[in-house]
Amino acid sequence: MKLAEAWRLSRPPYKEIVYKSLAEERGRMWWGGFGRGPCIEEAQSELRVTKKVLRIAKFDKLIVAVFNVVASVLPFTMLVTGSPLHGLPISISLSLAITFGLTTLYAIQTFSSFVGPESSTLLATLPLSKADFSLITLLSFVRSVDYLAIGAILGQVVAVAYLTVSPLAMVLMLTVSLMNVVLAVAIALWFVRIFYKNLSHGGKSGGARILRFAFILMWGALLFGVGFLFSVPWLVFPLLERMLLNPNQISSLFFYLLHPFSSGIAIATLVYPATGFSSALMASLAMVGHITLAGVAGKWVLATVKRTSQGSEIEVARKSTIDLSIKTYNPLRGYVMKDLRVSSRSPGTAFFFALPIVETIIVSLLMVNLETLGASAVLVATFMGGICTLLTPLALLNGEGRGLEYTKTLPLHATRIIASKTLITIAAYMPVPLALLSMALVKPLTSPVIIFIPYFIILAVASASVFEIKLFLGSAAKGEIAALVQDLEKLIVGVLALLIPEVAYAAMYLMSVDHILAILTMGIVTFSELAVALHLLKRG
Amino acid sequence: MRRAFLPMSTPLVEAYALMKQFGSIQALAGLDFRVMPGEIYGLLGPNGAGKTTTIKIIAGLLDATSGWVKVGGFDPMMHPIEVKSRIGYVAENPILYESLSAREFLEFVASIRKIEQDEANHIATQLANAFDMTQYFDSPIGALSLGMKQKVALVASLFHRPPILLLDEPLNGLDAKSSRIVKDLVSLHAQNGGAVIFSTHVMEVAEYICTRICIIHQGKMIAEGTFDELKSKAEGEHETLEEIFLSLTNERGKVVDMTGLLGEAFCRNEAG
Repeated sequence: MKLAEAWRLSRPPYKEIVYKSLAEERGRMWWGGFGRGPCIEEAQSELRVTKKVLRIAKFDKLIVAVFNVVASVLPFTMLVTGSPLHGLPISISLSLAITFGLTTLYAIQTFSSFVGPESSTLLATLPLSKADFSLITLLSFVRSVDYLAIGAILGQVVAVAYLTVSPLAMVLMLTVSLMNVVLAVAIALWFVRIFYKNLSHGGKSGGARILRFAFILMWGALLFGVGFLFSVPWLVFPLLERMLLNPNQISSLFFYLLHPFSSGIAIATLVYPATGFSSALMASLAMVGHITLAGVAGKWVLATVKRTSQGSEIEVARKSTIDLSIKTYNPLRGYVMKDLRVSSRSPGTAFFFALPIVETIIVSLLMVNLETLGASAVLVATFMGGICTLLTPLALLNGEGRGLEYTKTLPLHATRIIASKTLITIAAYMPVPLALLSMALVKPLTSPVIIFIPYFIILAVASASVFEIKLFLGSAAKGEIAALVQDLEKLIVGVLALLIPEVAYAAMYLMSVDHILAILTMGIVTFSELAVALHLLKRG
Repeated sequence: MRRAFLPMSTPLVEAYALMKQFGSIQALAGLDFRVMPGEIYGLLGPNGAGKTTTIKIIAGLLDATSGWVKVGGFDPMMHPIEVKSRIGYVAENPILYESLSAREFLEFVASIRKIEQDEANHIATQLANAFDMTQYFDSPIGALSLGMKQKVALVASLFHRPPILLLDEPLNGLDAKSSRIVKDLVSLHAQNGGAVIFSTHVMEVAEYICTRICIIHQGKMIAEGTFDELKSKAEGEHETLEEIFLSLTNERGKVVDMTGLLGEAFCRNEAG
């Protein structure tokens, strides 16, 4: 079969993969029974919903691809004004790191349906040879990340070509970019495969749970790592410059061996041979090693895709169960249990289990260098911790997926669903006040009152969660842009619910220079927000 | 054991002039029917006739464009909690939480329906054994076959012993044994004073199980009654429900024409 024909035939299985992934992850489409207005009508038409899912899939891929291009070029913009001699290795490394993270994160979402053989079921009935069948399946897999990969590779190659005007650097950048994408795809596939394999075998043993949690942590680290690199490159840039361009330090040697830094240093050294010979040689050898590794990873991806398409990849655990007893809870706890179980088993939503650790790290990092804990530091740490938590309600809502169709048949008020997600959100936020309390035990406070700040913010987190979910339920965007704007609106409302009490505290303190008055004002604001949230709940 | 759901003379489900419009498509065009306690009411019709839409409106999952429906005396849109407490619903394509195991899913349903621990255990054990679910009780639902998913949905719908069962093609994908169990359970439910609305396009199933049958075609009720009543309504001598159905929906001529055309096409292919 010709490649062009195989590429054309790979479209239906690819569509099936993205449809299944989105149908499972995106609760938004299935909220009809609880939502209002046009949302009800939308949920009534399966055809319309299916079309919407596919439109969202295309839009999502396009948005992430554009993001990937921007992310791949952004680190190079710092060189336009500065010296490429010092900045090039860092720009290349940062660009590779960000695109690696973005590609992996996107692929994890999409590949969740690829690990099952269902996506190739419609092909399996056609008279295709084994080789053609595998080729079509592989191409449908490639389609999942095609825009992203092309965007990142082009962005990086063009940027390096423009800055260095060196054909050799261009060729090397092309090889390294390709290697970066292959490694990202391989890691995503490995992650999703292990995750589902673990679940298909029950996933209840201690070892299986620890393994799943380790992957969740990896996912969380990837997400926050990409976010950090992307949002504050001007902070990361000088830090890396100090570390990479000082080959006498042991930590620098470590970076010389690590992807993507080895590639950055190797390419930059070829163009501007300023680094020492031994360092350049070490980085170049490491780069060759990574390219070889990518080759092995690529082969593994091919073999895994082939096995998956033939349905021999993951088998369902089948063992006779003698104990058929079930545990019942009160409805709210039952819903919380369900929410926790469902979201912990999807690679796309499991990240919030890593939130407590991420929040503790953020709070600790912000506080660790301070000699005394002042109100401003506590306000900033509380806000940063709270911001992380705001992703939880939306992740939980999306995690409902199509299962919500069933929940709609149960005697259940939407209020209980909101309450369940709000409780989980509060639980996800709790490490913040606890971490601050631990800090307060070892560091002096400028005023004992400030330790209550994160506790009042618990109310603000609850209100933010209710506002976000109410907006989610009430929204039914007609187009993709509108949907994206609405998602941002939800997050902005959540952020405001956190910010307003903190601003009230700061404003009152600046006016009165009295922490007690400031915390009382904060208390009034948070209770007012909660009253509005409860009113909205009651009205809904 | 006979349970007192409502007085035997009060309909458990009542629909009046039910209409449903999906854009330019008229799914239901004024449907009237009543289902009394002890009845197994079959909704019979070809694909796209409006069976699933009718059941979804009764379950409160869709709003009717006009007309009304009452379930146990309650409007599903005005009193969804009261209605959903009284129904056990099995969808045509069971959509469940795919990442949960059957055990976890049943725990969730039992908790939301506030079923006592002992009662839930008792029913879960009996039904899981009856439907041969023991091997897959702890496997993720998403990894199960259609038939096995259907069994999980059936067990969940029967858990709270609802007075009204809404079963939309419940035998889809079931093996012979499980299929028979469902039919017997449905009959037993009706004998105990419950009502069942059973949608199917398999004539033999409707003939075997339903006490009254409503034939729907293009969103309209063509005929309603017991098998004997339908037989008398259809013109000519008909022995099976399939023949009655084809006669009442005026589809017999089309079937003959279509079979002829297909026969010609196949003969030509074989000859070629």
